[in-house]
Amino acid sequence: MSITVALDVTDRAKPPRAVFVPFRMGHHFGVPFHPSLQRRIIMDALAYVEHARISGDVHRLPITWAQARREGLELEAASLPPLTNRS
Amino acid sequence: MMDNSEGAQLRPGLWDTVNERYPGSMIVSADDVALVSFTRPIREARVAFVSSAGVQPRGTLPFDVVHPVGDYSFRRVPSTSRVEDLEIHQLKYPTDGAARDLNVIFPIERLQELAAEGAIGGLTPEFFSFIGYNMDPVRFERTLAQELADAVVAEQPDVVLLAPA
Repeated sequence: MSITVALDVTDRAKPPRAVFVPFRMGHHFGVPFHPSLQRRIIMDALAYVEHARISGDVHRLPITWAQARREGLELEAASLPPLTNRS
Repeated sequence: MMDNSEGAQLRPGLWDTVNERYPGSMIVSADDVALVSFTRPIREARVAFVSSAGVQPRGTLPFDVVHPVGDYSFRRVPSTSRVEDLEIHQLKYPTDGAARDLNVIFPIERLQELAAEGAIGGLTPEFFSFIGYNMDPVRFERTLAQELADAVVAEQPDVVLLAPA
């Protein structure tokens, strides 16, 4: 099971099972400190191992980079202490 | 900032761009590989992870990221590794996210958690990593790919997750 951010490369390499995430290179599992997204991509990819029926089909995960990045920024902001408590 | 709301490839034309810069370096497979049916529930499956992100345990021989035709070796990464014991040697993809949280490209902590929770059956003792900067796809297939495939099979996984960085 290949997890790809490059459909054109995957189309030529032809892994039998692949899922596509529309993310930046080097960020196949999302954004920093967003464990639920990282887990979701792993589990969605593993689910497709069971569900794939045609070799070469690429399953697209329904998420965008903008959404992932926005959620990551929100999570990081929520993990910071309130401004009044910062030194 | 680009909002790829339609789920398009964020970096279009990657294959053509690299192939123009390094003619003949990109892998092309002529045929689809026959799909092998998979019937074991994922919660019982032993999972291996293979990455071209150039992740390796600290203290192991660094990948040669400046060799003109690439580095055709791979590293074993124990699946019990802590992220602070791993490092990246790779120049060809953005590592800003991984520098803050390695799990964005090598999600070893998430895989450890999923195994501990029973969401997957377990992890192979070893994960594997190499660098994608290899200019000779024929040599790559005959050496690194074959040796790596043999090493992965020896781990007896039910499923292998591949993350080409």
